[in-house]
Amino acid sequence: MEVISVIPRRLDVINKYKEQGGYVAAVLPIHYPRALLRAFNVLPVEVWGPPRVDTSHGATHLQPYICSIVHNTLSFLQMGGLDITDVIIIPHACDSLQGLGSVLLDFVPPDKPIVPIYLPRGRRESDIVFLTREFYAIYQRLEAITGRAPSDADLMKSIRREEGADEVLIKLHQSHSCLPLTDIAFYRLIRSREYLPAETFIELAQAVLAKDIKKPRDGIPILLSGIVPEPMSLLEAISEMGAMVVADDLACCGRRLYPPGRSGDPLRRMAERIIYAPPDPTRGNPIRERREHLLRLIENSGAKGVVFYDVKFCEPELFDLPTLRCELQKAKVPSVTVEVDINDPLSHQTLTRIEAFLEILNERR
Amino acid sequence: MSVADTLRYHWNVNLLGRAALRWRRWQTELLAKTGSGWRSEILTPPLRISAWTKELVGRHYLQGNFAHLHDKVAWVTSGAPIEFLRALDFYVLYPENHGAICGAARVVVEIASEAENAGYSRDICSYARTDLGTLISGKTPVGKLPKPDLLLACTNICQTVLHWYRVLAHHFEVPLILIDTPFIYTQVSDHALTFVKQQLEEAIPMAEKVAGKSLDQRKLKQITRLSQMATYLWLELLERCKHRPTPISVFDQFTQMAPIVEMRGDAVTVDLYSAMLKEVNDRIAQGIGVVPNEKKRLLWDNLPIWYRMRYLAEFLGRHGIVITASTYTNAWGELADLINPEQPLVSASRTLIHTLLNRGAGDKLATMRRMIDEYNLDGVILHSDRSCKPYSIGQIDQRDRLIREYGVPALLLEADHNDPRSFSEEQVANRLDAFIEMLGV
Repeated sequence: MEVISVIPRRLDVINKYKEQGGYVAAVLPIHYPRALLRAFNVLPVEVWGPPRVDTSHGATHLQPYICSIVHNTLSFLQMGGLDITDVIIIPHACDSLQGLGSVLLDFVPPDKPIVPIYLPRGRRESDIVFLTREFYAIYQRLEAITGRAPSDADLMKSIRREEGADEVLIKLHQSHSCLPLTDIAFYRLIRSREYLPAETFIELAQAVLAKDIKKPRDGIPILLSGIVPEPMSLLEAISEMGAMVVADDLACCGRRLYPPGRSGDPLRRMAERIIYAPPDPTRGNPIRERREHLLRLIENSGAKGVVFYDVKFCEPELFDLPTLRCELQKAKVPSVTVEVDINDPLSHQTLTRIEAFLEILNERR
Repeated sequence: MSVADTLRYHWNVNLLGRAALRWRRWQTELLAKTGSGWRSEILTPPLRISAWTKELVGRHYLQGNFAHLHDKVAWVTSGAPIEFLRALDFYVLYPENHGAICGAARVVVEIASEAENAGYSRDICSYARTDLGTLISGKTPVGKLPKPDLLLACTNICQTVLHWYRVLAHHFEVPLILIDTPFIYTQVSDHALTFVKQQLEEAIPMAEKVAGKSLDQRKLKQITRLSQMATYLWLELLERCKHRPTPISVFDQFTQMAPIVEMRGDAVTVDLYSAMLKEVNDRIAQGIGVVPNEKKRLLWDNLPIWYRMRYLAEFLGRHGIVITASTYTNAWGELADLINPEQPLVSASRTLIHTLLNRGAGDKLATMRRMIDEYNLDGVILHSDRSCKPYSIGQIDQRDRLIREYGVPALLLEADHNDPRSFSEEQVANRLDAFIEMLGV
């Protein structure tokens, strides 16, 4: 579809933003307050690896049993891939990202500020209060970096803009199977939220939504769960096998469909949005909530099976898998697990595994 | 619990069980006295008091076997605050310690395979795989594990425990209390400390509800006081290793640390460590060292390799090398000053958040450097532990800095604390040989 071919390239977006006097933050996975950054005129550009970099740089600081996202991030940084950014934001998603933050701060400091964010693992009032205060601490760091001090009204304006973008993002997910987009085109659009300013993303997304064809695409409907669909050619391979992703529980996509906040206090509202996001093991949601969420997604989307597509060594994902698969089995939903290293090309073994699974689903249709 | 249950509990735990354990201790002590039970030409026999430690640990697990007749049961992570649970009369079980027992007993492959066959990846923590294997199969060297009424996970050692305890909560359908301790990258923030204290305050009514009783503040203070006493004694015990020759090696420390982890807050733990200190003082007075001719003293970083402790001790001991201190055993004593029995919750929030694994990699390097100076150490072995990412990330740079900036030989040893399938004896031997050469022995 035409719109997809005009998604601005990451580097062009960064350069344009900087030319207009803005700052750019490299943001590591997974959850962070976009609105807070934008209120300081800082554009968040997410770094999920990226895949296919020379990992020898990271290997001089990290053991081989650390996941490829963390290895690649460090390698990419050391190769100068983040030179264009002004600050590095490291949300605390897992032990490995915590370790990366610590290594960067203590042993291989880049020539730009590093701002870690601790994300609480509960959904209690104390978690919201803590996260609100944590965001205030981030506010102070950004104030020192940019020399700006946005008012509450500025923060609210920024929140509303991001809430608007997330509302459109939710609509895209809901209309996924009725959109005139292949899976890879759909996820390219969804993932452009990782670096596009909210206003640009809204424009693009609305253009796509206007072309909602109301008629579901054809193919074996599946749900994709995991961290990140890399390499993206996975999605093409799935299409070629006669299947289509109709819903996802991916950390970079479906787990970040943030609901609007409720509070009139901007920092608290940002905290609420993250705390009440869809279930995510890295934020400590009980497995029961994950099961219910998956079953709801399956019911609403008509998915016939689940592909757990996980990055090797990712403990947050791996711990839940046996229980989730067992629960899905009870609900008569077949599932398959695939483990990948984001640096490797899509292996024949992975494709065969998915293909065999799709054949089973096809027979059950 | 009925009167019959109580009687059955006391009969099994306090009469029969205690008598059997005491008998075994007496036998071990007798063997130790005659020296006939020890078969190493390289290492000095373990402390005589080890028999008492074993009796206490045995008794703890025996209590666990019958706990359902007498107490509410809480499963907790090793860094969790247990004083309020003990004050509410919970029987407290540490699955990580159970995992370590399985590791030392070399039954991990058999038990963890049960978890792996159920779909748990070999890339997750081997303690977790071991305990999940026990959960699935019932296999354990300690009889059986009591079903929990409550779970308590504190993230100050890793996020892994939270993932693991979420699985347990789902399996047992019991409440999970979370004490979340924001990681200290550089310095602790006030809002992080407040957050931890608030969670402790919120945890108490949850635990009270499960216990069916109210928390007695006086009892909490008393237990906190005992915890602090035991922690100070443990630290004092470790600091005795500043003497040359080293009176107890890090492998003895690993064996003797079970009570400071799982029986902290018990009066008997204070008694045990007081007596242990006396025995260590006697060793020092008599000039007894772990190896007969101590040439080099090392620091150990990270968890033990539970299934190869004797092998490593003898391998190094053969060359007159003793591992004198470790960041791991030190972590159970270094925060003693932060404990304040008069303010149990405030002090708990401070100690919880400042644990070694909740501090940055640079801070751990500083701890290592301090220990090298204070204990007069000649080198460092950093156990790169597949199963403990938070402890292991940063070790490559720590090793490089130790060598480059501090002139201290340092070795990164790849293994896993509990899973022998990640231990290559030949590779380890080669690396140790090269390291020993570097030490100039």
